[in-house]
Amino acid sequence: MPKYSWRLGAFLLRCWLAGFLLLATAQAQGPTDLERRVVELEEKMRLLDPAFGRESRAQDLAKRLGALEKKMAEVLAAKQPVQVAAAEPAPPPVSTPAASALVPVSVAGDYQASPEAETRLPVAGYMDFHFNKVVGEPFRPDFHRFVLLFGHSFSDRIKFWSELEVEHALVEGGEETGEVALEQAYLDFLIKPQFNIRAGMLLTPMGIVNERHEPPSFNGVERPFVETLIIPTTWRELGFGLTGDLGRGFRYRAYLTSSLDASRFSAESGITDGRTAGFDASFRNPAKVARLEYAGRRRMTLGASIYSGHTGFNTPGVNPRVTIAEFDGRYSFRRFDLRGLFANTWVSQAGELNWRLEQNFGANPNIARQMRGYYFEPGFHVLPRRIRHDAILFARYEKYNTQHRMPEGYTPLPQFNRSSWVTGVTYKPNADVAIKFDYVFNRNASAVVRPLNGINMGIGWWF
Amino acid sequence: MVVLMKLAAFVLCASAFAQEQPAARKPDRVISIVAERFTFNPSKITVKQGELIEFVISSDDTDHGFRIPSAGIDVAIPQSNKGEARVRFVAKEKGNIAFECSRPCGAGHNLMRGTIVVK
Repeated sequence: MPKYSWRLGAFLLRCWLAGFLLLATAQAQGPTDLERRVVELEEKMRLLDPAFGRESRAQDLAKRLGALEKKMAEVLAAKQPVQVAAAEPAPPPVSTPAASALVPVSVAGDYQASPEAETRLPVAGYMDFHFNKVVGEPFRPDFHRFVLLFGHSFSDRIKFWSELEVEHALVEGGEETGEVALEQAYLDFLIKPQFNIRAGMLLTPMGIVNERHEPPSFNGVERPFVETLIIPTTWRELGFGLTGDLGRGFRYRAYLTSSLDASRFSAESGITDGRTAGFDASFRNPAKVARLEYAGRRRMTLGASIYSGHTGFNTPGVNPRVTIAEFDGRYSFRRFDLRGLFANTWVSQAGELNWRLEQNFGANPNIARQMRGYYFEPGFHVLPRRIRHDAILFARYEKYNTQHRMPEGYTPLPQFNRSSWVTGVTYKPNADVAIKFDYVFNRNASAVVRPLNGINMGIGWWF
Repeated sequence: MVVLMKLAAFVLCASAFAQEQPAARKPDRVISIVAERFTFNPSKITVKQGELIEFVISSDDTDHGFRIPSAGIDVAIPQSNKGEARVRFVAKEKGNIAFECSRPCGAGHNLMRGTIVVK
């Protein structure tokens, strides 16, 4: 009997303790309230350690409480020898320099840890796979671009970046198939935000696409015609120069580069084929190119570039100067995107150049003294924001004339006074993957040579 | 029962501890930064010495990184529409502190940088 009394007493004591704790802690909490408190504590703990408790939702309350106790003990133990502000920051594990002017407190959010090794030897790339069809002809598949980018940080102030490209999947000696090209390979010497030095194989900073040609970053399977025929893309030259951030959203690039080769200019492609791409280039009369950009307002970038250089190193007796001026802009407002560009190219001594090339090659290239092009492209994001996929309906109007003004005695060829409507959709199941479709309506000013429309499909990705 | 007792003890302990942790404290300033090829917007941020600052960093396009070499901070910024990174820090000394993108993001990656000015 006394044994049962003791058990009863113990039972009553437990009941009293339970009641007391319930009153003392949360004024008659139910199981839901307890769980809520545990969740709150877990959230507080995650401010100290963002990785804490991510997997614990499915566990029972006792296990979660045990985990909280254990973590609390760890935090208290870590707190003993150092001040709170210098406590070890949350993951990713970081090594705070002893004399740092900035003390990290916590790192949280939808991030992944960033292993140090990845920032030391970054590798990225993009690929572009197309199906192109001209009306009346079958679809032609083309693995257009396979590009790998490598970088290396020699230190926080000396960095290397490169881009190696294989075009059209196959390269064979002496045949017109593909190409392996070094698109960029340069060193950045980072001195001050507003003053840095860059040297090597550089992308000419003109237009939108030259420096921003990853497939998911533009609409349309193919790059804009204006940024192919009026401003060559991708345009890379050997050179060096200055880059910097001037503050308030302004930044600049100013380079001296190898010059274009006038012997390869033409009526149809303008100056595009005059790119030397770092091979057989000349630095006798280096070209000057500068770009000023404003990106001080979110989702808006405005840019202006100017290029000037003599191009006659392969045309003895004639040394034409090519000058290009362009303005471009990109703006996004809610679901609406707009981008546009205007470019004008001047070629001095165009008449003498035509005469010289006709003497050398037996045919008049009919190079213009002025070429002009512009485009504008509105786009609309049709999927609601709650859907993580993106689909952009777009229409791009382009006007491009590589025979805009002719030298005296030369007649413009109207088939090269062209315009195009490119309409289509870019679907992005992921921000770095773009599945594209577009239809191209081509027009020109000729009554004889009729341009053909085309259908393009493609998939491009960046990693 | 045991669970309840542990909880009560933990609540008291955790509450007292949390009050003195900068991480649990409301930041003095919350600053939004948007990363986009190849810029941070804003790229120059002025803060006061001793303030608890929280950066909320999101991307308008691909994955980027946010790295402050002098403080050993390096986090990944999720791509557009996939969330954000939050970095809290206390600027102890006056001066300029550089930050940069730590994930390769394209041709302008090396110059995707910014400055924290501590006054």
